[in-house]
Amino acid sequence: MVKLDEKIDEAIKELFSNESPWVTIVWDDPVNLMSYVTYVLMELFGYTREKAHGLMMQVHTEGKAIVSTGSREEMEHDVARLHEYGLWATLQRGDQAL
Amino acid sequence: MSSMDNDIEHGFYRHGDNAYVAQVSESEKEVLSNLVLQILELLGERSDNHVDDPLAAMVGITSHDTPPEDEVLLRLLPNAYADQVDASEFRRYTESTLRRKKFEHAMAMRLSLENALDGIIEVDHDGANDWLGAMNDIRLALGVRLKVEQTSYEELELLAPDDPMRPVYAVYNWLGWMQSSLMEALMNEDI
Repeated sequence: MVKLDEKIDEAIKELFSNESPWVTIVWDDPVNLMSYVTYVLMELFGYTREKAHGLMMQVHTEGKAIVSTGSREEMEHDVARLHEYGLWATLQRGDQAL
Repeated sequence: MSSMDNDIEHGFYRHGDNAYVAQVSESEKEVLSNLVLQILELLGERSDNHVDDPLAAMVGITSHDTPPEDEVLLRLLPNAYADQVDASEFRRYTESTLRRKKFEHAMAMRLSLENALDGIIEVDHDGANDWLGAMNDIRLALGVRLKVEQTSYEELELLAPDDPMRPVYAVYNWLGWMQSSLMEALMNEDI
């Protein structure tokens, strides 16, 4: 029974812990305009121009940036909206290597 | 990503509280209409489509769990996960919605082109977002054709006058410039 308890504990931890939230990543691509990426981040996530610009620059210089964090369902929603506007986005667990 | 210079003389400008206006020539209007029609056709049907389960179709589940074979369509409907199993599962439940949303943006662009009197396009904030999304999808599609992933912009600038890709690149740039002018008009609202 110890094993089952451990499994339940793990499941509860998984459900309620914020230790490894999911992340939405935007990847650099040669087509999307820099100003467009900034605009989409402002429009979809309500980010200030400064924040959106900073994330866009991170995508541009480092090839990728985490643009939002949250539950898996929330990140799936964010990725779908980014895809709607043509940004190249994926989601993954926050504790996975980028 | 790429950048456009901000020295915009024409293109979209803000007109009143919630209107964005651009004047296009008859030939520009024709080019835009043709391109948006191609996107609508591309999004309307997947060539590797097979018979959908009607019940699944009703609740928005497509039978597609594999990425599109067409390179352009794959860029418009990309994978949401690096992991193939997760990507397939996500695609099965969401691809039809994503296709519909992109189709709606393109359709809104097409309608405002049809309604343009004397080449004057007028959109509100939502219409502007439709245009931005649709113009971006067209640029993504042209970008695949131009192989911008493998080719530098310096190389594209040096295309020979008789190169069939040269007019494609010109349209690609012009669309980027139109997109920039519309974003300028939208973002200057906040200042």
